[in-house]
Amino acid sequence: MLPEQFSSLEPFAGVWAFPTELQRSQQRWVATAEEYREFYEAMLPLLDEVLVYLDQYQPGATPESVLPLYHLALAFAEAAPHNELYDCSNTVPNSFDAHRFVAAHGENLDR
Amino acid sequence: MAASADQVRQAMPFTTRYPELGTGPVDVRPMIDPELFEQERERIFGQAWLYVARAEELAEPGDYKLRRLDVANTSVIIVRDKSGEIHAFHNICTHRGNKLIPEQDAQSLGRAETHSFTCRFHAWTFNTDGTLRGVARQESFADLDKSCLGLKRIHCAEWEGFIFINLAEQPRQNLVDYLDGMAGHFAGYPYHEATLRFRYSAVLNCNWKVALYAFSEAYHVPTIHKGTFPSLAKLEHTEIKCFGPHSTSGIYVPPVPGLEPTPVTANLGGRLRTSERHRPHLELLPENINRDKRGDFQFEFPVFFPNFLLHLGAGNGYPGMAYFTHQFWPISVDSTLWEGTNFFRPPETVSERIAIAHINALHRNAWLEDTSTMEDTYQALASGVLEDMVLMDEELMIRNTHKHWHDYMGI
Ligand code: FES
Ligand SMILES: [Fe+2]
Repeated sequence: MLPEQFSSLEPFAGVWAFPTELQRSQQRWVATAEEYREFYEAMLPLLDEVLVYLDQYQPGATPESVLPLYHLALAFAEAAPHNELYDCSNTVPNSFDAHRFVAAHGENLDR
Repeated sequence: MAASADQVRQAMPFTTRYPELGTGPVDVRPMIDPELFEQERERIFGQAWLYVARAEELAEPGDYKLRRLDVANTSVIIVRDKSGEIHAFHNICTHRGNKLIPEQDAQSLGRAETHSFTCRFHAWTFNTDGTLRGVARQESFADLDKSCLGLKRIHCAEWEGFIFINLAEQPRQNLVDYLDGMAGHFAGYPYHEATLRFRYSAVLNCNWKVALYAFSEAYHVPTIHKGTFPSLAKLEHTEIKCFGPHSTSGIYVPPVPGLEPTPVTANLGGRLRTSERHRPHLELLPENINRDKRGDFQFEFPVFFPNFLLHLGAGNGYPGMAYFTHQFWPISVDSTLWEGTNFFRPPETVSERIAIAHINALHRNAWLEDTSTMEDTYQALASGVLEDMVLMDEELMIRNTHKHWHDYMGI
């Protein structure tokens, strides 16, 4: 559940708000152009407000109940290039196979 | 009509500055010949200093890093001992040769809680300074001299927080001499403050030099990166300098009128550009990097022979990114572990953390563009159809690496 004031983003949380970079990437790799568009259009106008909300907490100390919003914001930060540069394609054009590209830093960065 | 000497100097300022590197094509065989690959193991990777860890990865006594080195058929433990000194050892128990620490991946970090490592085969225990501490049922060994059974040491040295090893019995040069002019050129930047690391890796089915060379020039940028970085179409790759087997250069991007950053990049990148912590810190660059204090400086773009790149941007090129590194670890003649790491100062706020995620994602995507050519290039080269490659002026760092590769190989 997202904080009340962001209830309009609730439908996107179930689709995009994953705790790890790998899980968020797996969503990026399968999202349709339509899904990219809808996420972007819903999120961009609220981006500043979301960040103000998240900045109530110190990095690494986001309370459990706020983590879905945090993960949604991370997902948006990672997905937006697909809207802004790749015409809502779920791959980077003319690129190496993203599945073979491992985020080897692990998953300890995303709290 | 032949070009005048002046015209040549203008079109090829770097090639003409380094006449000893020649102007002819370079041979392809070093990239595809399995016998040469076998010789590289000893002559290149057995002789050169190799970057293996950042000091922050071993922040506390007892911290260690385990690094697989396929090219030397070994894995290496780099560890900070109780007194704070850093050592490197082969990851092999001196009893009967089991791996002292089981490998998890190409590299992993750990903590030796009691400043010791215990082999899981028969429980021999070694101190983090390499000495053999304890042997189970020692009395049942005839004439066991524990002082001769310490871990097998590897030469190891630190420069600016970058830890290098040298696998030679006796390195020909110490690390700073080996680094030549690079040691001073890159010295003084607070690398240690950029403790937030994002590392990506991929096993590429290509020779390590195909990958290295693809990351040694910017001639590819307008074509390969037109997707992720359309703003780089007019980039300048300049100030190319050679220091022995190493070389370096500067990347600048004059602003393109009318090309505005996209909304999310403007928002998130802008936050980093205006925060005191993450803003461009050109004033922290070593004096010979971006000497003219140009605002359109992107990053310093070097090759540390044989397999390490250290791109220093000080938050100016990619917003907030202090520096990034590449390494190319040979596995076989046609297989290479590529590793790329982005280094940022840690965020003070969650919004900075999210902005960093965006910049990191853009750069990761650019790497997906870079790595897209390498397997194709290798497969085509492996046909043997092309015997040598012609190079343009700004591909000079490839020329320099290639020449010194021949010198190290003695061929
Ligand atoms: S091999 Fe390590 S204790 Fe026997
Ligand atoms: Fe590139």
